[in-house]
Amino acid sequence: MTTTATPPAGGKTLFGKDEKKAILDPLWDNNPIALQVLGICSALAVTTRLDKAIVMGIGVTFVTAMANVLISLLRNFIPQKIRIIVQLVVVSGVVIVFDQLLRAYMYDLSKQLSVFVGLIITNCIVMGRLEAYAMQNPPWRSFLDGIGNGLGYAWILVIVGAVRELLGAGKLFGAQIVPQSFYDAGYVNNGLMVLAPGAFILLGVIVWVQRGISGYTEK
Amino acid sequence: MNLNSNGYVLAFATGMCVVVSAVLASLYTNLKPTQDAAAEFDRQKNVMIAAGLCEPADKRSRAELEKLYQERVQEFVVDTVDGKVLGDKAPKDVADLNKAAEKADKKQASRYRVVATTRQEGKVESYVLPISGKGLWSTLYGYLALGADKNTVRGITFYKHGETPGLGGEVENLEWTAQWQGKTIRDAAGALVSVTVKKGKVDPAVAKEKAHYVDGLSGATITCNGVNTFVKKDLQAFAAYLEKN
Repeated sequence: MTTTATPPAGGKTLFGKDEKKAILDPLWDNNPIALQVLGICSALAVTTRLDKAIVMGIGVTFVTAMANVLISLLRNFIPQKIRIIVQLVVVSGVVIVFDQLLRAYMYDLSKQLSVFVGLIITNCIVMGRLEAYAMQNPPWRSFLDGIGNGLGYAWILVIVGAVRELLGAGKLFGAQIVPQSFYDAGYVNNGLMVLAPGAFILLGVIVWVQRGISGYTEK
Repeated sequence: MNLNSNGYVLAFATGMCVVVSAVLASLYTNLKPTQDAAAEFDRQKNVMIAAGLCEPADKRSRAELEKLYQERVQEFVVDTVDGKVLGDKAPKDVADLNKAAEKADKKQASRYRVVATTRQEGKVESYVLPISGKGLWSTLYGYLALGADKNTVRGITFYKHGETPGLGGEVENLEWTAQWQGKTIRDAAGALVSVTVKKGKVDPAVAKEKAHYVDGLSGATITCNGVNTFVKKDLQAFAAYLEKN
């Protein structure tokens, strides 16, 4: 295991080929939203404002990374028969920790995110990474994989959130960006962007552009 | 060791549950005071939002807003039966008072309530009345502020509810709550008519609708009906107090 900061004698380094692949792959080549089309429900629901999208991105990154590490540490002790329920308990535990911290230190945002923090438990990305990666890989690499997948999810959420808030409300982070003179000249906020269909269309466009560049095709 | 024997599976599951419960329980206990303080600040902020002293996305820091609350807001216990202010009781006593009242008469479980007033240069600027009642899934908690004339609505907020986000949860929508401002709870003759959430849009050409109605929230009929019911009920409960003070 390469959990220490110094490279062990076996010739493995802290950021070897596998480690780089674990963190970089999900950002682009194997993006959980654009390629695997997972976690769409929350991507639609919490992206009306940029700050919500960022906190949700941080939340999912935190949860995937922590759950990946915990499951990876336990992977040789978990009985096969009950592995899914064990994963679920770990994920729920980590999500509750995140929810309680939000409630204590970011009360306003936790109110706005309401049920969606709890729903991270059902986010397919988290369970998917546990089952597909953490059950077979050591903790450090699993941690990087969790961070990579969380960020891969987060950057798309941030783009969707920024576009929706800018076009839907003329604001970013709740501060007015589109000047009053535009409104006086007849500019109108795009109401579609505030609603779920606006997020669907945006997400579709992002998936299309991403696949166009990365050259991915459905097999 | 056989990882798939029934004994090991049971032992693993039990051990995991105990560890996770212990971790979560200790976290919860440690964070509880901070969370309660955050919730209490949120409630105080909502009193001030209803009264128009601050905005939901206020740029001022928490310390500044807490100071503003100390300076401008007074909260006290009111007996809704005779409308008297109980000067010797603090807002935290209200649960005990209600328990005693409920023992004497079941219908009086919420006889005592906490009212807030905000003052400007010694004069009452607004009466902030707590409102609460059932929506579709949950009990909604909020504040309705009346101006010094005890008739014009200064603002309304909901700070705690469990309605569906996007539907009933839109009671928090600022564009919607802004519609309440300037509505009146009494008709020309002085009778209490409350403010009603209409189904559909308010027609400004109709004088009655313009004065006492706000637009409905689409997809949230049952929440809106709930709001109509408890706003009226709570305003009736406070009628005696508003008359006397």
